Amino acid sequence: MAPPIPTPKEVVQIPLDWVEERSGLVSLHKYLLFRNVPKDISWLQTLGSALITTFMIQVVTGILLAMYYHPTADGAFESIRYITDEATLGWLVRGMHKWGSSMFVILLFLHMGRVFLMGSYKYPREMTWLTGAILFQLVMFMSLTGYLLVFDQRAYWASVVAININGTAPILGPFIAEFLKVGPEFSENTLSRFYSLHMLAVPGGIIAMIGLHLYLVIRLGVTSPPWSKHRAKAGDV
Amino acid sequence: MPRLTARERREAYQREHDFQVKTGKAFFPYAIFHDTVASLVTVVLIMGMSIIWWADFGPVPDDPEAGRAGGFLGPAYENRADPGTEEYDPRPEWYFFFLFQLLRIFKEPEMLLFATIIIPTLLMVLMMAWPFIDRRPERRVSRRPIAMVLAVATPVALMFLTWEGSKAPAVGAASDHPGAAAFANFQPCGTCHTLADAGTGGTVGPNLDTSNPDYATALAIIADGKGAMPAFKAQGLTDDQLSCLAGYIATWAGAQAGAPGPKAPTAEGYPDSCTAAGPDYAGAGAGG
Repeated sequence: MAPPIPTPKEVVQIPLDWVEERSGLVSLHKYLLFRNVPKDISWLQTLGSALITTFMIQVVTGILLAMYYHPTADGAFESIRYITDEATLGWLVRGMHKWGSSMFVILLFLHMGRVFLMGSYKYPREMTWLTGAILFQLVMFMSLTGYLLVFDQRAYWASVVAININGTAPILGPFIAEFLKVGPEFSENTLSRFYSLHMLAVPGGIIAMIGLHLYLVIRLGVTSPPWSKHRAKAGDV
Repeated sequence: MPRLTARERREAYQREHDFQVKTGKAFFPYAIFHDTVASLVTVVLIMGMSIIWWADFGPVPDDPEAGRAGGFLGPAYENRADPGTEEYDPRPEWYFFFLFQLLRIFKEPEMLLFATIIIPTLLMVLMMAWPFIDRRPERRVSRRPIAMVLAVATPVALMFLTWEGSKAPAVGAASDHPGAAAFANFQPCGTCHTLADAGTGGTVGPNLDTSNPDYATALAIIADGKGAMPAFKAQGLTDDQLSCLAGYIATWAGAQAGAPGPKAPTAEGYPDSCTAAGPDYAGAGAGG
């Protein structure tokens, strides 16, 4: 006997059940999508999502830029020129990466200010704040390493100044400066080191930290703003 | 609000959490809607900045090493990086301006550590430790006076430092102080003397960045000579020209991070003598 022809609903349900039985991912997604959040969350509490969106823009435009960028002293400036002047919509990709980075820093300050003013870092959310503070430092390091890659005068000299400032720190300063420069002097290897940190090492750290940050946000739950009348009904909290 | 015991605080959190879950709305579509709107605004802003930036681009230059001009959002790119340049005015990205400005405030060599390491590290440690310092459960900012002061003072301080930093002159670049050009170009000082601010590296005579002469010492030596150094007064320099050079050296020898050197106070008013000394002495832009 021929097997029964599945109905359209079954065509969707059968593979979902298959995945669910083996991984639990379907119920996880149902939980993530349909969990309840306070009914009076503020617009200020969307800054975190705006940051994730900006980060995704940076990842996508960064990947596109990496397809055309040459991290060599001879090729870097040439490839930036090619991306900006000739590649189809290259100016838009580079522009969004450039202005996205400024937007990221601004949103980061606003998000941190929001969390601070609403007292959202208080018990039991101390770890969420801590992962956010680490993200802040990683993002500042991203800005620093990305700046050199354009390899125009501004990029080069700002990076020289930044590394030299780093080198004036006691004990570790000279080591960090030499690590970033790859030796006592600025060289071609400096560019590839910055490139590797900027597109491999630090983004890896950022993705891991965002994962932990979001896990904590979802696990502990979001809460209403402190001035919420609705929240007051929950009792003396 | 009274201090809570660990158990009370756990129960209070659990009570509120349960209440919010019970009375709340589903993340999809309620919160997702808010988040999507905020994200769309962000994307539009980023694309808008890119388009405004691009719309003002100048023509593509023929020279493969040349920069391409832009409008008020800055150039598409500047000239190709040239490690040999001596007159470039290096600037960090705008979000590092506040650190840049700290360097200018703590300009004395023995104070520089405050700007480079001590203050940034303290701020970072304070930021990371904050939830462990402020452990009261009160969340309303009107009942958190210290937090309120910090919440106002931090952005004001950051914005002020950023604004001041954006106007700051160069760090360590060849300067346009009156006297720099005279020192480097119109008199042979730089052939024998190192003075980083003027971009000279002579090694025949003393390194002025380490000897840091004050105004009177510099003036006497330039005018009357010393050891192998000729007496420039006898070579026909006017009093104003001598005074301009001595003032320049006293002010900018040993300069750190764009701030004047340690003997600068001995040479107040030196730019006036440069102006009086003739066009070659009135600043880098005036001469050839």
